Amino acid sequence: MTGGTSAGAWARGAATYLAAVLFLLPIVWMAATSLRPPIEYISPSISLWPSSATLEHYRALMADDVAGKALNSIIVALGATSLSLAAGFPAAYALVRLRFPARLDMAFLVFVLLVKLTPPISLAIPLYQVLRALSLLDTLMGLIIVYQVYTLPFAIWMLLGFVRDVPVEYEEAALVDGASLARRLAWIVVPVMMPGIIATAVFVMILSWNEFAYALLFIQSPSKFTLPTFIATLITEDETFWGKLSAIGFLASLPILLLVGFVQKGLTRGFGGGLK
Amino acid sequence: MHRRSKALALLLLLPALALFAALTLYPLGRVLALSLFVTDYGFEGATFTGLGNYVELFSHRFFRIATWNTIVFAVLATASEVGIGLTLALLVNGRIPGRRFVIPVIIMPYVLSTMVVTAIWRAWFHYDFGFLNNVLRAAQVPPVEWLFNPDIAMLSLVIVDAWQTAPLTFIILLAGLQVIPREVYEAAEVDGAGPVRIFRSITLPLLAPYLFLAALLRSVDAFKIFDKVFALTGGGPGQATETLSMYVYRLGFKFFDVGLASAASIIMVVVAGVLAAFYAARLLRGSS
Repeated sequence: MTGGTSAGAWARGAATYLAAVLFLLPIVWMAATSLRPPIEYISPSISLWPSSATLEHYRALMADDVAGKALNSIIVALGATSLSLAAGFPAAYALVRLRFPARLDMAFLVFVLLVKLTPPISLAIPLYQVLRALSLLDTLMGLIIVYQVYTLPFAIWMLLGFVRDVPVEYEEAALVDGASLARRLAWIVVPVMMPGIIATAVFVMILSWNEFAYALLFIQSPSKFTLPTFIATLITEDETFWGKLSAIGFLASLPILLLVGFVQKGLTRGFGGGLK
Repeated sequence: MHRRSKALALLLLLPALALFAALTLYPLGRVLALSLFVTDYGFEGATFTGLGNYVELFSHRFFRIATWNTIVFAVLATASEVGIGLTLALLVNGRIPGRRFVIPVIIMPYVLSTMVVTAIWRAWFHYDFGFLNNVLRAAQVPPVEWLFNPDIAMLSLVIVDAWQTAPLTFIILLAGLQVIPREVYEAAEVDGAGPVRIFRSITLPLLAPYLFLAALLRSVDAFKIFDKVFALTGGGPGQATETLSMYVYRLGFKFFDVGLASAASIIMVVVAGVLAAFYAARLLRGSS
């Protein structure tokens, strides 16, 4: 829509900035509270910034082995992402480029969609039993595997669009030269798709980094907690660990907040251009 | 190249198929079978009850409350998130200085972990020292029992969900607004249509598929909601915010009534399947 009068444009700009500030405020509060000494929690002040900043909450986290939890989160996020890409890329490629008997591809896509929409908790009981039977309960490996329930449908769905964008002509030219499928994938499809593969990897990594329900149900040893489960124990243990909670919340959010521009581009691409 | 063997196609699909078979097909079959038994873990020592668990569920007051809560939450959350997203998209879809910075700032809450989001809002909702009540007291307004008043707790949950996920509906609707050609608006202005008229007869109809998609995606997620309820209210006070996922969790992992929890899971999967069918129909229509 056009801006209209300059007063109208001014009001629109002001309203937009106000909205942005409201969305940002809780995150700023978190950053500030991670530096606030506990004595200031109980003041009725609405000032965001602590009057005397302290690093004690970050020191307390170090004593709680926060680095170990972060490492668990990193291992699980990297593992789940690698597995999803390794299984999802060939599937997406085949679904776009190859012929399937009896509309199997369509059935598969509808199934992927159903999995994507299924509530994770409804699979929790049998998954618990599967992991126990495989002795993978309470292991990071088990978590990497069950995260495929979320991440694999997501990865396949996202990669489909990127495979479609690779011009068939490139591959046909290579085929004429006698290049095998493996060579075509390695020398043409993967390099052309690299930005799409990276985008998919980033989304899947954020998904795994933030996951909570399965981490809660399938991990019991505190030494194997991921960051979200560790945060949850702090939330429910004592309701006024705010400084520590904010400190860990801020640390856990920093890496993904740095990727926000990337996420914006990915989402806009996914939903723009006529809803693929 | 397309004519190459179908065996190759299946081979490439195999890893994904194997993972789906082990992680969703088999579990779905197992949960369906478990839902027909009275059991506290697996099939050993279980008693077959047929549809007994389903009959029992529907007479279960807590199940009915959880179903109702899930519907109320899904409707309130979806409506407010689409409303906020639409407002933001209309605001940002124009010439605004610093637009490049405004959009990522609005998206930030969406990338945060739900546990981080919950940690912030638990503190904000605190009755005595929380930020929200401090603001209310400063404005001479009586403080609110955000999480402990059964009539308000559900609204508090919606507020948190809206803060975290309205950015998604915002991005979807902004993408929708940006594909509407400028000429359409210009033609309408030449014809003397006012802004309200333009919004009602041009923007809304052209945005309809995006509004539908945003509402569908949000209602599916709202229907599944678990972690926010778990950490923000625990389903309380009483059963005031207990949703179906929370109910399944308590039945299966706290009370070990695996048969009943499985029956409730199957009901959730069926509802998700109906929503998936809507979504698939929409996608297939869109691609043809």
